[in-house]
Amino acid sequence: MRWFRFAVFIAFVAVLQASQVLNMIALTNLGIKPNLLLALLVFFTIYCSTTDAIIASFTIGFAADISIGSVIGSQTISFGLFGTALAYFNRLIAIRNIPYQSLVIFITGCLAGSLAHFLALLKGLSAVANVYTVILGTALYSAILGPFLFLPTAWWMRIKTQRFKRY
Amino acid sequence: MARKLNRAPFPKRKKTGLGSLSRPMLFTWFMLIGFILLFAPQNLTNDLQFAFARIFRWPLTIGKNISLYARTTQAPTEFNGKTQYENYIANLQEQLREKHEEVVELAGLRERLHALENAGLVVADVIRASINATKGELTINRGKDDGIAKGQFVLGDNSIIGNISDVSLRTARLKLFTDPASRIAVRIGQLNIDRLMVGSGNNLAKIRLLSTKHKVAVGDKVLAQKNPGFLDAAMIIGVVAQCKKDDRNPSLWDITVKSVCDTERLNTVTVIVMNPKE
Repeated sequence: MRWFRFAVFIAFVAVLQASQVLNMIALTNLGIKPNLLLALLVFFTIYCSTTDAIIASFTIGFAADISIGSVIGSQTISFGLFGTALAYFNRLIAIRNIPYQSLVIFITGCLAGSLAHFLALLKGLSAVANVYTVILGTALYSAILGPFLFLPTAWWMRIKTQRFKRY
Repeated sequence: MARKLNRAPFPKRKKTGLGSLSRPMLFTWFMLIGFILLFAPQNLTNDLQFAFARIFRWPLTIGKNISLYARTTQAPTEFNGKTQYENYIANLQEQLREKHEEVVELAGLRERLHALENAGLVVADVIRASINATKGELTINRGKDDGIAKGQFVLGDNSIIGNISDVSLRTARLKLFTDPASRIAVRIGQLNIDRLMVGSGNNLAKIRLLSTKHKVAVGDKVLAQKNPGFLDAAMIIGVVAQCKKDDRNPSLWDITVKSVCDTERLNTVTVIVMNPKE
């Protein structure tokens, strides 16, 4: 894993996610926009070794916390937990087809979003109406756009996506 | 001839590249860090978010401007320069009404020339705006060093838009009154009744627990109530956007309030610092 490239790329995507650029493609009056960091989480867990995937998951979660999170730590834990689970799952069943990758992004988005929200409630954040609609919508939107992000990510990270290997 | 016992070689543990740290240990350590971050005091962890906003201030501002430019070219907005003056007039009208009451009730014992006479006004640039269904926050480039403190009210286009929720030395975060976690005491138009306005996301807020015997109409001004130490006079915060009977209790209103300024387009805001240090 090229960690310097990884750090630069994650910082770039975190800034992109935190800036209002993505508002241009936001849907509905709830302002649902794709979570690019979620798509990256799935990419790194699918195409990296298990150890690298664990590190990458927690790092991406931390980036999500400081850029778009309400409570620091909630996304770190949820992304880390589900990223690690996905990395181990990928050792059993390699997820290579785009429809499956989309499905994985959707499921991971729903689970990680719900856990992050639960942890934020645990910290004392007040309950918000429509939060599950937003989580579901974000996961769906990310699942649709996510796989298109895989190619530029693989090019930047010099990862061969065609190689079939289980770590 | 004795049979030779052939044993399969025990598989070597794959090196993780992190010394002797195994994957479960790595995971455990990261989870521990995550929980420490989660349960650490909010004012400490907020500094990480403020540092991010400060470091990437330039690209974040560019992103904000691109988004605003796209919105301007796509569709005309309902807010324009005229709104600022309308809000200003609404504040003056409210101050005038209060003044009249004071004159009548206190027989001129106490006279106030301006609502913000004793207040210091700190103008701040908006670094980042997070406005959606679940959040309504702005990050500004002023902090403790500039006299900003938690709870202070913030003006945008001469109307109250929210109050300060977190402060670091050089950055602060303000919670818009439309943020679902926001609670602000307000009064509707000429009704002399205080009610709590709760944010509901998407630039909207709700006022409930107001009996339907009170007359409320769409377009009525909503004023943030006085808050000693933070706001010396009631000021306009929004207007009634929708007014219908509560589904659960038809004897109560379910009032939706919208902002009187386009918070997403704000580049600068003004923080009201009451009794500023000389």
